[in-house]
Amino acid sequence: MLGYIVRRLITAVIVVLGVTAVSFAILHFLSPTPAYAVLGTKATHAAVVSWNKQHGYDRPEIVQFFSYLGNLVQLNFGYSYKLNQSVAALFNEDVGRSAYLSGAALVLSLIIAVPLGIAQAVKRNSPGDYAATAINFTLYSMPSFFLGLILIQLFALDLNIFPVGVGDNITTAWQAITHPRQLCLPIVTLALLNVASFSRYMRSSALDELAQDYIRLARAKGLSERAVLFRHLLRNASLPVITLVGLSIPTLLAGNLLIEYLFNYSGLGLLFYNALGNEDYNILLAYVLVGAILTVLGNLIADLAIATADPRVRLD
Amino acid sequence: MTEPRKTGSQELEELGTAALSVPGPSRGLSELTPDGGEVQAIASGWRLALREFASNRLAVICLALLLLLVLFCFLGPLFYHTDQTYTNILNTNLPPSGSHLLGTDENGFDELGRIMVGGQAAFEVGGFASGVAIVIGTLYGAISGLVGGFVDGLLMRFVDILLSIPFLLIVLVIATKYSGTVVEISLILGVFTWLVPARLVRGEVLTLRTRDFVLAAQTMGSSRARLIYRHLIPNAMSVTIVNVTFLIADSILSLAYLGVLGEGLTPPHTSWGDMLGNAQTYVQNGYWWLVYPVGACLVFVVLAFNLVGDALRDAVDVRLQRR
Amino acid sequence: MAAPALKVENLSTEIRLSRATVQPVGNVSLEIGEGETLGLVGESGCGKSMLGLSVLGLLPTGGHVTEGSIKLGDKELVGLPERELRRIRGNDIAMIFQDSLSSLNPTKSIGEQVSEPVRLHRGVSRKEALDRALEVLELVGLPRPRERLSDYPHQLSGGLRQRVMIAIALACEPRVLLADEPTTALDVTIQAQILSVLDDLEQRLGMATLLVTHDMGVVAGRSRRINVMYAGRIVETAPSEELFSSMRHPYTQSLLGSIPRLESDPGRPLLSIPGLPPDLTDPPQGCRFAPRCQFATDQCRAQEPPLSGDSDHKFACWHPVDGPAVAVSASTGTRVSVTREPAPAGPAATVAGPVVQNGAGPLLEVVNAVREYPVTAGTMLKRKVNSVKAVSDVTLQVRAGEAVGLVGESGCGKTSLGKLIVGIEKPDGGQIRIAGEEIFRKRGGELRRARRTVQMMFQDPYGSLDPRMRVRAILREPLQIQGVGSTREQDDRVRGLLSEVGLPLNALERYPHEFSGGQRQRIALARALTLEPRIMVADEPVSALDVSIRSQVLNLMKRLQTERNMASVVISHDLAVVKYLADRIGVMYLGKLVEVGTGDDIYRRPAHPYTEALIKTIPVPDPAVEQAKRGVAIRGELPSPINPPSGCRFRTRCPLAQEICAQVEPPMRRFGQSHQAACHFPLQTPEPELPLAPSGDAAGSASGH
Repeated sequence: MLGYIVRRLITAVIVVLGVTAVSFAILHFLSPTPAYAVLGTKATHAAVVSWNKQHGYDRPEIVQFFSYLGNLVQLNFGYSYKLNQSVAALFNEDVGRSAYLSGAALVLSLIIAVPLGIAQAVKRNSPGDYAATAINFTLYSMPSFFLGLILIQLFALDLNIFPVGVGDNITTAWQAITHPRQLCLPIVTLALLNVASFSRYMRSSALDELAQDYIRLARAKGLSERAVLFRHLLRNASLPVITLVGLSIPTLLAGNLLIEYLFNYSGLGLLFYNALGNEDYNILLAYVLVGAILTVLGNLIADLAIATADPRVRLD
Repeated sequence: MTEPRKTGSQELEELGTAALSVPGPSRGLSELTPDGGEVQAIASGWRLALREFASNRLAVICLALLLLLVLFCFLGPLFYHTDQTYTNILNTNLPPSGSHLLGTDENGFDELGRIMVGGQAAFEVGGFASGVAIVIGTLYGAISGLVGGFVDGLLMRFVDILLSIPFLLIVLVIATKYSGTVVEISLILGVFTWLVPARLVRGEVLTLRTRDFVLAAQTMGSSRARLIYRHLIPNAMSVTIVNVTFLIADSILSLAYLGVLGEGLTPPHTSWGDMLGNAQTYVQNGYWWLVYPVGACLVFVVLAFNLVGDALRDAVDVRLQRR
Repeated sequence: MAAPALKVENLSTEIRLSRATVQPVGNVSLEIGEGETLGLVGESGCGKSMLGLSVLGLLPTGGHVTEGSIKLGDKELVGLPERELRRIRGNDIAMIFQDSLSSLNPTKSIGEQVSEPVRLHRGVSRKEALDRALEVLELVGLPRPRERLSDYPHQLSGGLRQRVMIAIALACEPRVLLADEPTTALDVTIQAQILSVLDDLEQRLGMATLLVTHDMGVVAGRSRRINVMYAGRIVETAPSEELFSSMRHPYTQSLLGSIPRLESDPGRPLLSIPGLPPDLTDPPQGCRFAPRCQFATDQCRAQEPPLSGDSDHKFACWHPVDGPAVAVSASTGTRVSVTREPAPAGPAATVAGPVVQNGAGPLLEVVNAVREYPVTAGTMLKRKVNSVKAVSDVTLQVRAGEAVGLVGESGCGKTSLGKLIVGIEKPDGGQIRIAGEEIFRKRGGELRRARRTVQMMFQDPYGSLDPRMRVRAILREPLQIQGVGSTREQDDRVRGLLSEVGLPLNALERYPHEFSGGQRQRIALARALTLEPRIMVADEPVSALDVSIRSQVLNLMKRLQTERNMASVVISHDLAVVKYLADRIGVMYLGKLVEVGTGDDIYRRPAHPYTEALIKTIPVPDPAVEQAKRGVAIRGELPSPINPPSGCRFRTRCPLAQEICAQVEPPMRRFGQSHQAACHFPLQTPEPELPLAPSGDAAGSASGH
């Protein structure tokens, strides 16, 4: 097991290195220097050259890459010249709020999706299954901001249960947790989108497992239908969903972006959105990298989770 | 965003046939019948797939509606003349009326006419981006699968790396500099969506290579080129075709995301996402006609492509499973 | 005798599918007494599994009992509330399924799975249930059961998993055991072990057992009474001896006549049943066997015969037969048997040598062939950590026109050897020579032209034909690749071939999925013959087919082999199939060729203990023979081909093994004109040391190891 983890970590590091290189190259190609962003678009050539020299942007790209890597190891993601703060500090401020939003949405969606998928599989082709499938399909095809809008219209404007956006009074993750009413809509929006894909997966995986002989044997042992589902089906049917959850971490991140934008919730996504407008490339690069690292980690964690849950997976 | 899906009815079907395994009927064996028995005409492969697809009513309706929508977006402007170039500040945010069937937006553009223009962009980007992705993906995957060995490992590791980069984020970043026209956005989307088809095609090629009919062709002395164009390509096609449908849906959705965040097409072009950019304000001001019609179009198109893709996959599966 | 443990009366079931309704079981009655085994025999899709499932009330979704009664002792099970049925399942009636891999929950330990029914039905503690699990695991002969309790199913071999499944079924000492094809997925030697476990338990525990199988041999010695099922109906029921000696239903007669037997003369063609089993969504009117029956009359086609006869022997037929088919009559309805004279069974030397044969040398020579598949680790670099020794130092000759069979259990390397012979894979050592030349070492056009001399027929009739090509294209492909003839000539040849393999001409425009399995194997055979190869390799040509279809294909292959005077290598796990088709047989074990000889050498005078064990373990459809052999002929399981045992590879399972077997690999020794075996303690006396003419290099290299 330990050897497996070590090997997986090494591969993960290699992939992260590759991702960093590719992302750095793309971003660097788009904007070789933040000089114009800092000095203004009308800055003289000489001013730009001297700014570049001063901040190390005149060095060869490969050198810049390695110095960036060196900083990265020390969790230094560069400096936002627009906001006059280090990217790490900016992230540090927002990460809690974003994590809470994603985490709560993920947990909520699993709580709904896993039983729903199994129920759909057990009662396949019933009116309830068709209805759930139809809703899932629609949600699956629904852009997150549009779903958010509909929920805002319904629950904030028409029924007046929840606020339209998250207020400015939420400045820390703790406040976000203690003001559930304010965050209800964003969390539900994000969760519903995940329910759509998770429960479809769960349904099809449960259907596959239900057709297996061991389910038949469990029934032939005299187990009740409930016991068959809980003791035999649940664990096996959940295995593919574990991978999906691992893979959906970056999707959550991108989902965050639009949800935070729509509900005006100041998290990493909103920071990224503002950086897009400001062409603040250090923030953009850092966010992309965080996303990539989370993807790799998500994969790794999913693999390890599967390895512990499924004795068939050989760890060598 | 593609994943293995299986419909419930199909599952039951399999259960039934697995349990009973009933080959075609055989009756009236006369002296004239060769001892191998009769051959029951079922249907040709593609026709069988078509029939299976046609039996999925929902998908057929979706396909028909999609075609109608395409006609509406591209031919509609010929009959419903609107000015989509010059703003008209006197006519902003008008509710639907006889002269503006779906009202006007904040620049005074007729909303219905704008939905047509935005729809054109959606279909163009969907088609073009998925075309780019499927061409790159198929070639890359096929080469990787065919060459195999170390090269395959290397090529696939590169795909892993690119897949780890959050797609929407990197596309957004690039779009800040390079977006504007349909072609540019399609290229950006296409260049980052070929990864999944590449993996699928590679997987397909790898399994096909070990299939008995490919081995049989080898024992006949078939050349590598012949194996590829006669056996591998035709058999890998279905994966590709199904995938194109999902790619179109994904591209249209991505275009909408770009538009909402203000990184979409530059005026005078517009997309459905661009039109939804200020939706939150519209909703609060009660300008529902600026939000729901265009949103509904977007959801419908994506949904329809997903449903058609699902039905296609089932149809192709059935065709191959029918034994 | 007391009241039967299980009594089924006039049972009919129905399953609703999305597009049709099938009646898998129609009007079936049977009863099993305590301590008795009842055989239920039928082909796949005849409803025999559904019968078992309906007893447990476990029909698939949409299925239900429409009529009849099922009684456990005095208790009526049909219409019993689910709650009470559950108390009976696993407790009074237990079931064993065919596929032990998918029947055991992959994520639960063996201990948990075996103890589960005990906890459920006996309400004992976890600890007590585990103790009971240990007890039954010991009972079914699982080696070191205590250590296995925490193992997971994938860690056990197929045979051991099947023992675990039996243990689950026995955990609560059921009164009735339903065994649904309990050994079909297993190799013969393992099958024999499992069957003897079942025999033993049934006697010790006094259960009533319903043994459901497609294999007449499996039920022959085990059940007092046998029911034959066809298309959802019981067509004949009789005590075992009577059924085999004086069956009345034509289906039973032709089914038994169509099975190739070890003891019968391979020169005589098998009885073959034309056509296919009917589609149960639309069964034929009247007798369901009528469309395939040679005795069918208009009455048969209009009216369904009732199950009648005396109380002991019943059958459902208007025109019953009397006993087994004595000789093959011309009335089998197939052209195969009409035109054919028995083929000479002797070695091919007696057959007139083909013109192409150069000199007296063999056509195909496999010389010290080695094939090893690397076992790799790592995703990127794929470093080789070990190798599977699939074929190890095999030497074999095939003369022109001769049919050689290769037999052995799964994993013995027979398929790999076949792939080496057709040149799909290259040997890692040794040579494959055809007419004295290593043709697969050639390149480009020369290689392409050379390839036409050897063609192959594959096992899986579904995977070997390109699903996207019409039959015309499939059959023309070899000609196109080889550039033989004009389009017109190619077309003519394709038509000729099609009629030769017994398919109608309208097949040309059809796709493979429109054919049944047997028909596809005919197409595959035609394709292999298109280039008129001098050697054809057939890998398990009939094992994917239904019992009643096999003989059609086997007869066809045999006829074409002789007519075309083509050499062939027939690979099968079924010795009877190989003996029917081949002049000489090679027995393989774990990558080694352990014995070669004519069919009679192998069957009547086996020299290698493995060969003998193999013959002993094959179930014979003859109650007398089956009852005579008790006890397990071969112990243990196949060792890993990654680290095969030193010396003689069979020694770990051999009853005669001694120290020398582990140290020295036995060389091939000669036991007759064409009979050789590699064993230190052979069962026959070897001929005095003569210089081993053609296979001298085998012995030479073997000692060099």
